[in-house]
Order: sequence, then C-alpha cells, then structure tokens
Amino acid sequence: MISAPRTATDRTKLPYCHESFHNLQELRHSASLANKVFIQRDYTDGTICKFQTKFPSELDSRIERTLFEDTVKTLNNYYAEAEKIGGQSYLEGCLACLTVYLIFLCIETRYEKVLKKISRYIQEQNEKIYAPRGLLITDPLERGMRVIEISVYEDRGSSGSSSGSSTTSSSGR
Amino acid sequence: MRRSSAYIPVSTAAALLVSSSTLFFVFTCPWLAENVSLSFPPCVGIVFLFAVANFTMATFMDAGVFPRADDDEDKDEDVRAPLYRTVEVRGVQVRMKWCSSCHFYRPPRCSHCSVCDHCVEDFDHHCPWVNNCIGRRNYRFFFLFLLSLSLHMAGVFSGGLLYVLDHLEDLWELHAAVTLAVMSVSGLFFIPVLGLACFHLVLVARGRTTNEQVTGKFQGGVNPFTRGCRLNLQFVLFSPIMPRYTGKLSDRVPVPVHPPFHHPESQTLTPVKSSENCVPSQTPPVKSLEEVDDPDSKHRTSPPPLPPKPDPVLLKNHLAALEESLLQSRAVMPSGHKTNPLQTSESPTKVLYQVPRDQIGTRISPLVPQEHASDPSLLQSENPENSLTLNSRSLSLKHSHRRVAETPGPSASVLISRSGSLSYDSLLRPVERLGSQTPFLPMDSSLSRGPGCNCSPVFMNISRHSPQHREPSPVCYDSLAKPLMSSIQERREPDEKDRPLAPNSGIYDIPSRRSLPHDFRGPSSRGPTPPAYGSREFLLSSAAYGYGSRSHLSSSSSSSLTRTPRAASSPLHFNRSLSPSFYHSLDRHSQQFPSALPSSSYGHQKALAFIRGEERPEPEL
Repeated sequence: MISAPRTATDRTKLPYCHESFHNLQELRHSASLANKVFIQRDYTDGTICKFQTKFPSELDSRIERTLFEDTVKTLNNYYAEAEKIGGQSYLEGCLACLTVYLIFLCIETRYEKVLKKISRYIQEQNEKIYAPRGLLITDPLERGMRVIEISVYEDRGSSGSSSGSSTTSSSGR
Repeated sequence: MRRSSAYIPVSTAAALLVSSSTLFFVFTCPWLAENVSLSFPPCVGIVFLFAVANFTMATFMDAGVFPRADDDEDKDEDVRAPLYRTVEVRGVQVRMKWCSSCHFYRPPRCSHCSVCDHCVEDFDHHCPWVNNCIGRRNYRFFFLFLLSLSLHMAGVFSGGLLYVLDHLEDLWELHAAVTLAVMSVSGLFFIPVLGLACFHLVLVARGRTTNEQVTGKFQGGVNPFTRGCRLNLQFVLFSPIMPRYTGKLSDRVPVPVHPPFHHPESQTLTPVKSSENCVPSQTPPVKSLEEVDDPDSKHRTSPPPLPPKPDPVLLKNHLAALEESLLQSRAVMPSGHKTNPLQTSESPTKVLYQVPRDQIGTRISPLVPQEHASDPSLLQSENPENSLTLNSRSLSLKHSHRRVAETPGPSASVLISRSGSLSYDSLLRPVERLGSQTPFLPMDSSLSRGPGCNCSPVFMNISRHSPQHREPSPVCYDSLAKPLMSSIQERREPDEKDRPLAPNSGIYDIPSRRSLPHDFRGPSSRGPTPPAYGSREFLLSSAAYGYGSRSHLSSSSSSSLTRTPRAASSPLHFNRSLSPSFYHSLDRHSQQFPSALPSSSYGHQKALAFIRGEERPEPEL
C-alpha cells in the first residue's frame, strides 16, 4: 500500500510513489532505482543459455563477489538442466508426435518446470540476499533470456526534516 | 500489421492440402482399400494428420520472438556505441548487430524479420506458406511438416496412379476424374516441396539456418554452431521446446526493497560489519559516484535493524523514480553543456552545439563537439594526445561495463552524464581531430592502433581476418561483385549521414541526419512487399543483404558503424526483405544527392553551412 505523504513538505519533496511518511520521527530513507546492471550472455559454448559470471564493477560495493557468482552459476546450471537433451526430452518429443501435439495442452514440459524453479530461486535470492543489499534481479525470461537485469537501488535519504532524524540517529550510533 | 494479402498463401496452402486429401480419401481410398491393401488408406491418413498438425504448429507457434528491450537497457549504450559487437562462439568471432527496432544487440543466429517486425531467435526464414517466421521454437514443426507433406504427396500420387492405371478405359468417370485432378495437384507441388524438404535436410545435417545458408555466412569456413550431423538432427528434433519470451509473465510477487542496505565489508579488513570501516574505504576510489555521499549516510543510520513499519518500494512503482533519475542525469548534461558555449569565445561552436542538440536530442550531442572538432578550419589545434586520452577516457567510462575498462570503472551509466560533460569540456577547447577518431570503441585490440590508422576497428577486424581464410570473419559475403560494390560505395554517401562518426571523414554529419528520406523511418522502412521465401525477389534481397552489409564494411567510414538513435532508424537496415526498398532507397538517395562527394567534404560543407546558419531542407527525421 502506498499512500501519499501526509505533510505538505513531504509532498513537495518526494514523488508520489515513494513511501509514506507518517510522522517526522518515522522518516526513513526511501530507496530509489539508481541504475541497472545487465549481465550479458556467454556465447562461448554456442547458443545454449548461459550467462557471464564476470563480476560487474558496478556491483563492487554492493554485494560480495562470491554471492553474485553463486547466483549466476546456479542459474546457468538450471538452464543447462532445462536444455539438456536426454531421456526426458526424447520422451516428450515422441509423445508429442504421437498425440499430434495435443499433449502440450495437457502437461507441462520439462523446460517450463525448470523455468518455474528458476523463478522461485530468483525470488528467494532476491528476498534473502539481494533486496537487503538494495539490488533486485529480474528474471531473464522477461528480457528474452538475453540479459540478467539487476536493478541497483540507492538509499535516497529524505531531505530537510529527515536530516534531523538522520543526525540524531547517527549521534545515537 | 500484416496486410490481408499475407494470408493468401497460407490459406491457399491449407485449402489445397485439406481439399485434395479429402477428395483422395473419398474417391480413391475405397478402391485402394479393396484392391491394394487395407492398411494403405490408414497410413496415408496418419501421415496426413501428422502433416496437418505440423502445419498448424508451424503456423501458430511463436518462433522465438524476442521482446523489445526497455529503454533502460538501452540507455547504457549511447549513440557512440558501435553497430556491431563481436563475441566469440567456440573460438569463432561472431558479430552481433545492433537492432535499431528492438534496441539490443542481436544474439548470434538471431535476425530481425521485416515482415513481422521483430527479432527471432535462431531465425531461419519467414515462410509465407505458413505466414509465420520459422525460428528456434517452431523449426522442428516446419521441418517435419515438409517431410510429412512430401511423404503424403508421394502416397497420394502413387495411390492415384494405381487407381488411374486400373481405370484407364473410363477416365471421364467421376472417381477417375477426381483422382486424376488430385494426382495432378500433388504431382505439381511434389517436386518443389520435396526439393525444399531435401534442402532443409541438408541444412539440419550441417547445422545451419536458411538465413545463414543464403547469406553465405559460413561458406568458406567453420560453422561454430554445428555439433555434428547426428547431434544437429537430435537438437532439431528432440531439444526441449522453449517457452515463449513474449506474453504473459507471472504472478510474481514483487520483492520489497528498502534501506538500510547491507554492504560488503572492504577487502582489507576482517569481515566485521562496521560502519566506520566501510566509510573511509569507499570514499577514495569512487569519488565520482553519486553514491558516495549515500554510503556515509546509510552507514550512519544503519544501526536500527529493520524499521517497524514495512515500506515496500515496489519495483513497478520505480518507473517514476527511474524517470526522475534519468531526468536528473540528463539535466547534468544540459547544464554542463549550456554553460560551456558561453565561456568559449567561438560563436560557431555555439551554433553547432545547440542546434543539433535541441533537435536531435541528448544522445547525439556528445557527437557534436567532435563534429566541430574535426573541422580544422574552424578550430585551433590543441594537444591531440590530450584530447585523445580525454576522449578515450570518457568513452571508456561510457563503455566500462562493456569490457573495455581501461580506467577503473565506476558505474558507467552514472557517469554518462559526467563523461558527456567531460567530452564537452575537453572539446570545447578546440581540438584538432585526429585521423582515426576512436569515439566508438567497439572492439578491443584494434583500438591500440594510433592516429595513423584509417580503418575502423570493425573494419580492421574484418580485414584482418579475411586475408587469412574466410572463417574467423563471421560474415563472409563472398558473392559480391566488385563493380556492384563500387557502385554501392558511391551511393553510400547518403548512408554516411546515418553514421555521423566517420573516423576518416572530416565532420560528423549530424545535421544531415535529418535529411534522411522519409521511408526509412519506421516499420514501413522495412519494405512494402516482403519477398516470399524461395522467390527470386527473396534471393535478390538476400543478395542485397549481403551486398549492403559488405559495402558497409568495406567503406572506410563504415568503421564508424554507430547505431542510430532511437528517433531515427537506419536507412539501410539490412534484412531479408530489403531488396525492393533497398534499391528504391538508393535511387532516392542518388536523386537527392546527385553529386558524389566524398563523405568528408560533404559533411564539411554541411557543417560550414550550418555554422553560417543556413536553412537546410530538412525532410524529416
């Protein structure tokens, strides 16, 4: 739920979509989208879906390198699993032919199942690791599997009256 | 978007298939079942059903359409970014071209379909008989359709032949006449369909798409996408079907993001979360980051763990915030920009700076100083090294996220505004432009060549590769005829306008951008009538595709190969159906600019005219 800022000063300062400030004592910093970092695909092994694990410099101060690399490697593994040509994909292909492709109306293919797993994984990573660091990962499926988009949020401190609160809290450090 | 005439081939094909087969089943099959074999009609029936199913899937299944890139994905790549980006695929350099409609670099094997106006993954071709693009997701259906249709036609023809041979004495009787008609239809279409099926069989075995085959991409050399005949077949037939990229996305619950944000500990200190340690380590190297002030404030206020009231900042709602931040970053540019002309003593620069900026937009404005700078008659010379390093530095900052990080790269997008103003500052003091301007750092090593180089990095890549053997150059347009190329080069001056950063030409032709002909501006620029696959027009257009792209490469200014801004689309946007519009546009160009000036002097004249404040005819942009 987002409500408009209550006080006139707050209304002038903040965009409508930002958090509501119920009273000055509870002023907290809002997060605003500062930047988006795009992790590109790694095509060295062909057109299989794989993302570069190179750590982007923009995230240098935002997240630990290992966490980021773990995330991307896990995603790559998921995609490799989805695209694996093996027993299950053969079965699906033959079944599809036999049922004149009506099977696609009934069951979910393995790729779709893995994509759901990926979506859950990204959600979980966002909640546990990235959002506390002011980052958000967008599912690459939304971008056509071309990039992993990481939105970088910055702590936009509220101005004016909030600086009082920030100094008080800093003095209370 | 598609005209109704696009539905004629597909409805014809469907109608012919269904009606002929129905007639066959009704009139011929009874006799066949009795006299030849009871199992013959069911077999034909099954094959027919399979063919229809594959036809339906090929027609209605999304080929692997890429959704268009958002603005924010594109904003990192400004106009100076090169038209091509090279990537290595299994040891082979493959170029990814910037798609001006979809606003991303096309992945390898991706191509933009002009009929459908979208980029398709593993683009094979646009098939008019199914009125759909054939790409990654539906290629197997198309391939199986061809095979099954060939088989079905063979079955129908042979069944009909057996019937007719047995009823030679009374061919005017209804059943025989119908059978004869069906036979002739199937016999007529059998040869082309079988030919196409064999063609695709070869393509599958070789691991190529029709697009690659026709444009001769791997003609001389190695195809990095092939896995061997057996594995290619396996991939086509049995790889999992990817879901659509476009269309609904989930029911995802947006994750709230709210400060305070946790930051990683600095490397020099023991991993103890302490705000005091973080602050000093962060400030020095990232001075120019806007965020520098924020970590200080963040850390000062970090102690309270979580605020009692959750303040969800939903991702979707940050569009407004993003716009705001974009506006802010853009505001930096005009503010940095407008003050400078006031400081300089050269009034001509003022005109050049301001006019294109206003009219073309902030994306082009970084180019303007260089356009101005490249004209020696207007400018005093300055320390070239200084300018070059400044340029390359500002550029490397822009492209730092793209592996050209020669300077320690803070966030590129944050710095775009700054580097924009940097380049303004550096070029305000008039700079003598060097021979090889490197405002666009498309690739890597070729940049190291200094001012003496006359070739673009891209061009150098190509030229470097082509003498050896065809393959490392990913695109080999071997079929080009020299006279054609030279004639195309002559006609390419209009195209220069679209590439404002020509390293060897004197001036960046920004004002002339507006004189692009009208029909190169939108989806309409893709051509009025896309040629059908297999038609002569199509072959011509794909040849033109090859010609055009090659002429891009071979022209000296093609090095600049920068992307057009969002506002304008590339006039010579090469894709398969370009042929009619391609030649048409070339004619238009040649009419409009009859004097075949070299691009540099042409641009020079334009710049001079601009400086004098002449009114130029500006068709549209």
